[in-house]
Amino acid sequence: MSESNDKLIVTKIKDGTVIDRIPPGKALKILEILGIDSNYPYTVALAIRVPSRKMKLKDVVKIRGKALTSQDTQKLSFIAPTATVNIIVDYKVQEKQYLKIPEHVEDFVDCVNPNCVSNAHEPIVSSFDVVSKDPLILRCVYCDRLLDKKYLNRKL
Amino acid sequence: MIPKHLFSTRTISKDFVEQIFSLASKIEANPDQFADKCKGKILASLFFEPSTRTRLSFESAMLRLGGQILGFTDAKVSSTVKGESIADTLRMINHYSDIAVIRHYIEGVGEIAKKFASIPVISGGTGSQEHPTQALLDLYSIKKEFKGIDNLSIGVMGDLLYGRTIPSLLFALAKYDNIDLHLIAPPALKLRKNVALRLKENGFKFNTEENLKDIIPDLDVLYMTRIQKERFPDPVDYERLKGVYQISTEDIKNVKDRFIILHPLPRVDEIDYAIDKTKHSRYFEQAHNGVWIRMALILKYLGLD
Repeated sequence: MSESNDKLIVTKIKDGTVIDRIPPGKALKILEILGIDSNYPYTVALAIRVPSRKMKLKDVVKIRGKALTSQDTQKLSFIAPTATVNIIVDYKVQEKQYLKIPEHVEDFVDCVNPNCVSNAHEPIVSSFDVVSKDPLILRCVYCDRLLDKKYLNRKL
Repeated sequence: MIPKHLFSTRTISKDFVEQIFSLASKIEANPDQFADKCKGKILASLFFEPSTRTRLSFESAMLRLGGQILGFTDAKVSSTVKGESIADTLRMINHYSDIAVIRHYIEGVGEIAKKFASIPVISGGTGSQEHPTQALLDLYSIKKEFKGIDNLSIGVMGDLLYGRTIPSLLFALAKYDNIDLHLIAPPALKLRKNVALRLKENGFKFNTEENLKDIIPDLDVLYMTRIQKERFPDPVDYERLKGVYQISTEDIKNVKDRFIILHPLPRVDEIDYAIDKTKHSRYFEQAHNGVWIRMALILKYLGLD
């Protein structure tokens, strides 16, 4: 990996996902929430705090052989709302997604309230409305409690 | 429009609340006229947490309407000890009764009812979340006293954090105009953020205080609550805060002539027994109103009004 003229040069991947414009320092967290660790069988390229024209500094992650689920992109939108997700097929960008924090999320994180029915043994999944995007605040559809950014950073 | 179930005063309209008050008032004036209204109907009374007034007044309400009741008063005698979910309990109750009242320490049961109950289910108290029927009888008591709810000065004091009657009371009051609301609590027991946010979204303004003394001469109503011992994660905190707000006859020397004290009961030591005999106490009348309100709710939810 090398750097010249503010351009990042990393080996291109044949098939997989490139997550670009990640807020600087968040790349490792992103790998963690995507469940990618040392056992991942394919190439993963990681660049932290590289120059960016739009963001001054950014992180970039390239993951071969990985397609993100809608739940993955939801989680990404909360941690790295500025990021773009590029789907790579045969070395080419087949689709570019701009992340957007959704209005509602399900089965995403556990409710902060231990007495919430979504934490009990019931045939439902956790469900939250986004009441504020900046600062990030979610509201449990079941017990109405608020999940703040501090809690979400710890849990996501 | 009548919501299918009743778990919150936030999601019901003022019009619906007023319809309940109007029906309760008719029943109170002439209970015999309603004695057979629920003949052949069954109320399931599912109390997963202890209760005196709520359970007895719901059961009394159904019996006074000529209906019957089934249920349990202790979660230990139900199949929840075998690990049965609330969803499965409600699926079963759908076939055993026509209407149900449920009290549970788990919060968010209302959403489970929406998904799994085909009969109307009314909350008899849900954890620290809400206690909507209590709020309706509280407002009914206020309305009876002052012939209306608008323009009153109301103080709400005590455990605003864990008391489940509080969110329901505030969401119900928020439907009325020009309420001068004062919330009086120590910082450790102040209103939960989610409740404050809901009120803010609704444009309902309130003042927060730590001291009753300065504002009591202006109040029409003082709503007291018990410090909720059973909901404190740490018993040390409870010991520190219990008895933090107690009122005696000394504290009500400079109140308005029409000033009243309400309390959802049970009380521990927050209202001195000597206050019971003063013209300002209304908490026992308030508890009696629970039967009329619950009769009205049963009729309304069964479509028999």
